[in-house]
Amino acid sequence: MSDNARVLKTSGTFTPEVIEDIQAKADLGRYRIRGFGALRERRWPTFDDLTFLPCTLTRIPLEGYREKCSTKTVLGAGCAKPIELDIPIMITGMSWGALSFNAKTALAKGAAKVGSSNTTGDGGMLQAERDHSKMLIYEVLPSRYGINIHHLRQADGIELTIGQGAKPGTGGLLLGSKVSPTIAGQRDLPAGVDQRSPARHPDFLGPDDMIIKIEELREATDHKVPIFVKMGATRVFDDVKLAAKAGADVIVVDGMEGGTGASPEILQEHTGIPTLAAVCEARAALEDVGLYGKIQLIIAGGIRNGVDAAKAMALGADAIYIGTAALMALNCNKPVFVEDYKALGTEPYHCHHCHTGRCPVGITTQDPELMKRLPIDEAAERVANLLKAMTLEIQILARSCGKSDVHDLEPEDLRAFSLEASMICGIPLVGTRHVFGGGPGWKKEETH
Amino acid sequence: MASMTCDGRPTREINAEIKRLLAEGHAEIVVKNPAARHNLAVGVVQPCTLIFEGSVGYYCGGMIDGPHVEIKGSAGWGLAESMMNGRVVVHGNAGNAAAAAIRGGSVIIHGDAAARAGIAIKGGVVLIEGNCGYMAGFMGQKGVLVVCGDAGEAFADSMYETICFVGGRADDLGNDAVVATPTDADVTFLSELMVRHGVKKHVKEFKKIVSGRKLWNFDKREWKTWSEAL
Ligand SMILES: Cc1cc2nc3c(=O)[nH]c(=O)nc-3n(C[C@H](O)[C@H](O)[C@H](O)COP(=O)(O)O)c2cc1C
Ligand code: SF4
Repeated sequence: MSDNARVLKTSGTFTPEVIEDIQAKADLGRYRIRGFGALRERRWPTFDDLTFLPCTLTRIPLEGYREKCSTKTVLGAGCAKPIELDIPIMITGMSWGALSFNAKTALAKGAAKVGSSNTTGDGGMLQAERDHSKMLIYEVLPSRYGINIHHLRQADGIELTIGQGAKPGTGGLLLGSKVSPTIAGQRDLPAGVDQRSPARHPDFLGPDDMIIKIEELREATDHKVPIFVKMGATRVFDDVKLAAKAGADVIVVDGMEGGTGASPEILQEHTGIPTLAAVCEARAALEDVGLYGKIQLIIAGGIRNGVDAAKAMALGADAIYIGTAALMALNCNKPVFVEDYKALGTEPYHCHHCHTGRCPVGITTQDPELMKRLPIDEAAERVANLLKAMTLEIQILARSCGKSDVHDLEPEDLRAFSLEASMICGIPLVGTRHVFGGGPGWKKEETH
Repeated sequence: MASMTCDGRPTREINAEIKRLLAEGHAEIVVKNPAARHNLAVGVVQPCTLIFEGSVGYYCGGMIDGPHVEIKGSAGWGLAESMMNGRVVVHGNAGNAAAAAIRGGSVIIHGDAAARAGIAIKGGVVLIEGNCGYMAGFMGQKGVLVVCGDAGEAFADSMYETICFVGGRADDLGNDAVVATPTDADVTFLSELMVRHGVKKHVKEFKKIVSGRKLWNFDKREWKTWSEAL
């Protein structure tokens, strides 16, 4: 080390990121808003803290080529018109407004190609998405933008949204740059406003009123299609039971890693519980009221691949919603049009600028020129491919664990790498035979 | 005109009967003894007249498109919520969130309305002959909200383009609600509206309340307003 060499000291409290944040707020005069979802380092247990235990001598694996491993997924099995999907991965609700026309249409087409579903979002239904989808879930959100009984009746399922994992307890946001005349028209808003959606539904408050709301949705759809209730993961064990009591056929739990088009940054980073914990609590809740297996559970929030999906399913999910991963299939964060990422002050693989409406790859924008960068048919093909690949990943894990149906994956097929994951999931720590803590069924332990 | 009773029947059966009668070609149906059941006449999407001879529960006339619904009693929460078009008339009072998120048509309440009447309306006309509770007109997007009596606290809070008129007192306006001067066209519109819907209450002069548009876009200079609204 030369005489002149200096050692730079960095504060562990006031890190460069913290300093940048303080100075940005000193300029803005409000909290920061951005898209994408939680960015901070994941110090909490995740699906990566689990590993599968395929068959060795105690169990017999299935042959990949010959022996079937079913992926058929039925939601709302008790309904007159249940949702029957060929695969357990579904496209989550992302609004037309947050997403471009091309992105919405490509997701619908891509999902339909592989026998899956897609979901509307906080802006009502786009006709093109109905036209191209095989199964469409219609979201009923607090804002009620674009709410339309005729669209509701075209849907294969209705999702009553209470909240989202990225920002539970708050409403949606769509900054003015994305409230184009078309989007404004669809939402009955003035063009260019920084649109905030309400946090609560306008016409019901708690779970008891929700019972009546769900009955209303059933009356409006002639008691045919399944009713989903979607919530951000907070007090999951109690919330899931309340949703079950209110009459939901399907419950969607979205963990804190869940994506968003635009939200206050602090909510994305500091509210809610991780998806891994959410699925465990949700399953325990349904078991506690004897409805596990009767009400279907969809898990969302940071699911990246078939491995995450398979682990969530082994822990209790019947199906998986993907948002961000599907956008990545559309080219989100791909190193193309690099100059346009730079213009946003970012780079490929680091972009989280969906809120700006200047998406370099034409996904989260309403700019017709940017949108052209997302040719619908090619994009739909990539979405279909991702869904297929994820399904194959789930199947290979399921077969190796000796399951002829991906829904037969179970907690027993897993071991935990960390003490925390063992405690949360109720799965033995690797190298031990011990379950440290409750996991699915923790409530039972508590009461016995 | 057909007539039916709700006695001893659950909502599902009542609504099915209404739909069956409509399918048989009856254009007007009198529904007796609704006994405040929830979700009556939800999602009816054809022009017809439905008369409820008594009070109804939550969400009566919710998500309809076209019918004329008359309630000869009071209504529970979420009356006519998300209606696309049609007319819903209540002779008594209405519970919370009357006409929530309607996109068109008209909701006429001859009595009082509770909290959050006309919340998030996206079009249409809401006419309240009596008073209304707190936060009526909250986040109104389009359409018109008329209160002939007094408006409750935080009236017309955080609105977009809904236009409100109050015949009585409007002492406590919500965030970003401002008083405007009614135009001649407004005066004509209001007097015609009163006549058309048989409003007996005499209102000398309506106050007009619209959005001050300060919350439409984030602006650090408006920090004080935003600290309440965000
Ligand atoms: C661009 C974008 C827009 C979204 N819009 C909505 C919406 O309109 N309504 C909603 O309930 N959730 C919305 N979400 C949340 C998703 O439905 C879902 O809960 C979340 O994306 C799941 O997490 P993942 O993105 O990590 O897969 C949105 C997410 C993204 C990324
Ligand atoms: S590439 Fe587009 S969709 Fe992806 S994070 Fe950036 S702005 Fe959002």
